[in-house]
Amino acid sequence: MRKTIISLVIPAIIIVIWAVLTTYTGIIPSYLIPSPHDVFEAFKSLLMNGILIKDTVDTLSRVIIGFIVAAIVAVPLGILIGWSETVENYLSFIIGILRPIPPIAWIPFAILWFGLGLGSAIFIIFVGSVFPILISTADGVKRIDKVYIESAYTLGADKLQTIKKVVFPAALPNIITGLKVGMGIALMCTVAAEMIGSNNGLGYLILTATSMLDSASAIVGMLAIGVIGLTFEYIFTRMERKLNW
Amino acid sequence: MVFKIKKVNKNFQNKTMEMEILKNIDLTIEDGEFLVLLGPSGCGKTTLLRMIAGLDFPSSGTITDNDVPVLNPSPERGFVFQQYSLFPWRTVLDNVAFGLEVKGIDAEERYEKAKNYIEMVGLSAFIESYPNQLSGGMKQRVAIARALVNEPDSLLMDEPFAALDVLSRHKLQKEIIQIWQQETKTIIFVTHNVDEAVFLADRILVFSERPGRIIQTLKIEQERMRDRTSEEYLDIKRKITGLLETNQKF
Ligand SMILES: Nc1ncnc2c1ncn2[C@@H]1O[C@H](COP(=O)(O)OP(=O)(O)OP(=O)(O)O)[C@@H](O)[C@H]1O
Ligand SMILES: [Mg+2]
Repeated sequence: MRKTIISLVIPAIIIVIWAVLTTYTGIIPSYLIPSPHDVFEAFKSLLMNGILIKDTVDTLSRVIIGFIVAAIVAVPLGILIGWSETVENYLSFIIGILRPIPPIAWIPFAILWFGLGLGSAIFIIFVGSVFPILISTADGVKRIDKVYIESAYTLGADKLQTIKKVVFPAALPNIITGLKVGMGIALMCTVAAEMIGSNNGLGYLILTATSMLDSASAIVGMLAIGVIGLTFEYIFTRMERKLNW
Repeated sequence: MVFKIKKVNKNFQNKTMEMEILKNIDLTIEDGEFLVLLGPSGCGKTTLLRMIAGLDFPSSGTITDNDVPVLNPSPERGFVFQQYSLFPWRTVLDNVAFGLEVKGIDAEERYEKAKNYIEMVGLSAFIESYPNQLSGGMKQRVAIARALVNEPDSLLMDEPFAALDVLSRHKLQKEIIQIWQQETKTIIFVTHNVDEAVFLADRILVFSERPGRIIQTLKIEQERMRDRTSEEYLDIKRKITGLLETNQKF
């Protein structure tokens, strides 16, 4: 509780300074930064006409689908890379090359492969979140104390059982950290993802609001993405704590 | 189970050179024997035990378990590691039941069996605890129960009590003798502690410093539980200590 209050101090100060600089003194003109009041009004109207909820749901479903596909690919592959040096040798170069490419750079190919709309959006989010999950999982597997794996073998487990019952749970804290980072990046990709042929979603909301110089609505969209991110962060942190054996 | 170790040598490849760890080990371990491998730190005791378990392999020579070459680890050869090895994400009960779980035995049966072995090591009150809630001695008890639940023919123990204080160590030594008498298993027990070796062993193999060779074999006939203050006991201890000291290089 005290921590919650403390964490709200700086945002409160920012809002006060922001209000002073815009509404109360007009030092910063409203076409540069809208006032808190404007943003609140924009929030109210976007909430009332249902657009905010709808865009949030649209973005959330894209992000979750892209993220889940990324996790389904990255967790098993990461375990394999961490487990087998041969697999790592085959894949480390290609992963090293693909990983630094910004998701936004994939947009032309996303359009060619998946057309305009949902498929492309999911692909962009997938590209953004797959690597952090992959790297973190592989790293977690590599760090496992060998004594756990050897214990499993001396207790009669075969390789597959050892991966399922020892490697996976032992690496789970790292896997969850990877998921947390991956989700953060997935959300960072929403604007890029919704540039391509989408006509809804928070990224689309921000883009259209900006093009119509409605910066107050853009800020509402930005804050909505922030709140979604914070919520996921909270959920993953809770999961991490639960695993604190 | 009779282990036959024939002309075993073990080298480890270092970055710069080949290091001789064990030299010309020839040894037969009889069924039901309590064998102690005693030697200074770094002489290759863990390496030899790991090779008997199938966790590592000789550079030359052969190791057989009832005339079958040891090629991989097996639940028939229970292993208790030098460091703590319980799965930290599993409760005591699920740690001990692990071997039965991977064998595909259903939950009811495996938990009942696991509970019996937990009781044998005196930890029935802790079945739902996680390893990080246990003391060092308790962890090693669970590790012993976890190996025993597979009903192995032999139990290979690598300095399992090295990290414990003297009193807990003595207590666990007595317990392991009781378990050995009750379950009639072959036990191969590694230690660098002379007193521990003399208290436990039917036969002690004394190793030289690296590269490890067997420099002496001693049979100890004294009745269990051994009296640590008896003349005979102290004599054997003195003899072994002298032997280790005269073979010390530095
Ligand atoms: N995987 C390995 N690669 C290279 N060298 C190794 C390896 N394992 C052990 N060694 C070396 O082999 C020697 C013997 O190791 P080992 O662990 O068998 O000794 P030990 O007798 O069990 O010692 P301690 O009483 O300290 O446990 C050591 O010098 C060690 O550095
Ligand atoms: Mg050792």
